[in-house]
Amino acid sequence: MFEHAIYSIYNMNDSEQIPLIPMEGEVGVVEYQEFISSEVFEFESGGTIPELCLRYETYGRLNNARDNVVLLCHALTGNHHVAGVYGLDDRKQGWWNFMVGPGKPIDTTKYFVICSNVLGGCSGSTGPESTNPETGKRYNLDFPKLTVGDMVNAQAMLISHLGIDRLHSVIGGSMGGMQALQWAIAYPERVGSYMAMACSARHNAQAIAFNDTGRQAIISDPGWMKGDYPDGEQPADGLSVARMMAHITYVSDAGLEAKFGRKRRHLGGKEHFEVEFEVESYLRYQGQAFVTRFDANTYLYLTKALDRFDLHDPESLDATLSVVTAPGLVVGFTSDWLYPPQGNREVVEALLRLGKDATYVELALDAGHDSFLLRTPKLYKLIEHFLTR
Amino acid sequence: MNPNIKKRQVDFQVIAQWVAEGSRVLDLGCGRGILLEYLKQKKSIYGVGVDIDFEQILSCVKRGVPAYHGDVKALLAQFDDKSFDRVIFSRSVELLDEPDVILEDALRVGKRVTVGFVNHGYWKNRVSFLTNGSRTMNEVYPKPWYQTLRSNDFSAHEFESYCEDRSILIENRVYLNGNWKDTCRFLPNLMAGYAIFDLAR
Repeated sequence: MFEHAIYSIYNMNDSEQIPLIPMEGEVGVVEYQEFISSEVFEFESGGTIPELCLRYETYGRLNNARDNVVLLCHALTGNHHVAGVYGLDDRKQGWWNFMVGPGKPIDTTKYFVICSNVLGGCSGSTGPESTNPETGKRYNLDFPKLTVGDMVNAQAMLISHLGIDRLHSVIGGSMGGMQALQWAIAYPERVGSYMAMACSARHNAQAIAFNDTGRQAIISDPGWMKGDYPDGEQPADGLSVARMMAHITYVSDAGLEAKFGRKRRHLGGKEHFEVEFEVESYLRYQGQAFVTRFDANTYLYLTKALDRFDLHDPESLDATLSVVTAPGLVVGFTSDWLYPPQGNREVVEALLRLGKDATYVELALDAGHDSFLLRTPKLYKLIEHFLTR
Repeated sequence: MNPNIKKRQVDFQVIAQWVAEGSRVLDLGCGRGILLEYLKQKKSIYGVGVDIDFEQILSCVKRGVPAYHGDVKALLAQFDDKSFDRVIFSRSVELLDEPDVILEDALRVGKRVTVGFVNHGYWKNRVSFLTNGSRTMNEVYPKPWYQTLRSNDFSAHEFESYCEDRSILIENRVYLNGNWKDTCRFLPNLMAGYAIFDLAR
């Protein structure tokens, strides 16, 4: 309703004047929905689960031709809640709220926007934390080995369920970028265009190293119990440290310096190793907040899926990308040391070797890997214009 | 609208003459992608533009022209021999850091290479330096030296002797008068304001 109201004000301006300030509205109060498939889902690894649930949200309206669909893919610890709020007193908007809404680059007056929590996730979709209907117990480590391909296959089922044949565009950053690439490779006939930001064709050694350090923090926490921690409990210390470490890889040297420098929390703490610097306090808070919303086994599964993602396999990057038909946009960020620009660039170089319609943009932003989550005019314009293709 | 847009696009028709229908074209220093858009319309090419400036790449995105935001030299190295029918430098050779190395690699990647450039041997450019002791400023290059990109200006004669030196075949060449419109056939190094070369290895 909120969205509608804003749009009518916009339309009321029937003089030839174009508003000097672009009119932007909010998607407002949103609700999530669930897609439940009672068919057996087969993973790329050969493992199966008897049924599957994907939690998702949509914004805007599906047009009659059903060709205005934009699928958004979230990053490792993100979820389906892209835009809007769950209630009038909810102060936390979705993770890409500034990008999605009436008059925004992903304009919900034009596009029907969908985002689902990935298969294997822990925000409502089936994952290691879910109950196995066959045993009545949590899957935990009985959950099949997961890949980015599995996530995309599950999304494709959701899209079909919604009566949609073809996506106008599929967009994502980081793990979401890998899903966007996977969509273009696995479902070329269903993808109109794709945009992948801060991503890569495969993890380099450093990215795997970071992920495994996080996994080891979880696994070495006695609370992990070989993955069989009971419902309501989890290896919080390990997961928290994993998050703290990972968080550093999402930002940058310059970003941390600007935000914290050597600022001190308080001087003269009694304990030698109490929080002393602001940055310590910030990271510990990030770690502690994370364990209240994220499941440790899920973290293990998703990071492993990312480490195994490899578009160079089985033959070569060029061979894998040869099936792509949609125009693509890949955006790298100069300060991203987790998925450095060359990993993004490499994808477009291969696409151009193959004679594909592909565009590479490298943005000089200093927010590190998380730059794609920054509200910047350059990213705004890029997405807005590429979407019209 | 920039009043010089037409003048800036003078080499389009000449370049288009040499581009075969449906060919693969790489435009190095593509700017806003206008040439590639033109060639796409006229010759149904597959074209890719390369530029180091974000705003230019954004314009390519708006035009639906595939573009690569980055270094020309590094991208060329990614392509196999003869993987493009034509590599184009339209007023961009003078801006390259290592023109010799990059032209050589462009001749490896492209079956043909087009180079369009302002002839700094043109008499007006000479007179300007002789009388005022300063370089020409005109409607196409309206800014003083300190507001422009670093540029290796050269003359048609210098470019020809470079090609001879490196045993680069000049398959075609077109000189335009100072107005950048009519063909110039007389004493081109002195009389031509603009030159377009079609090169091969």
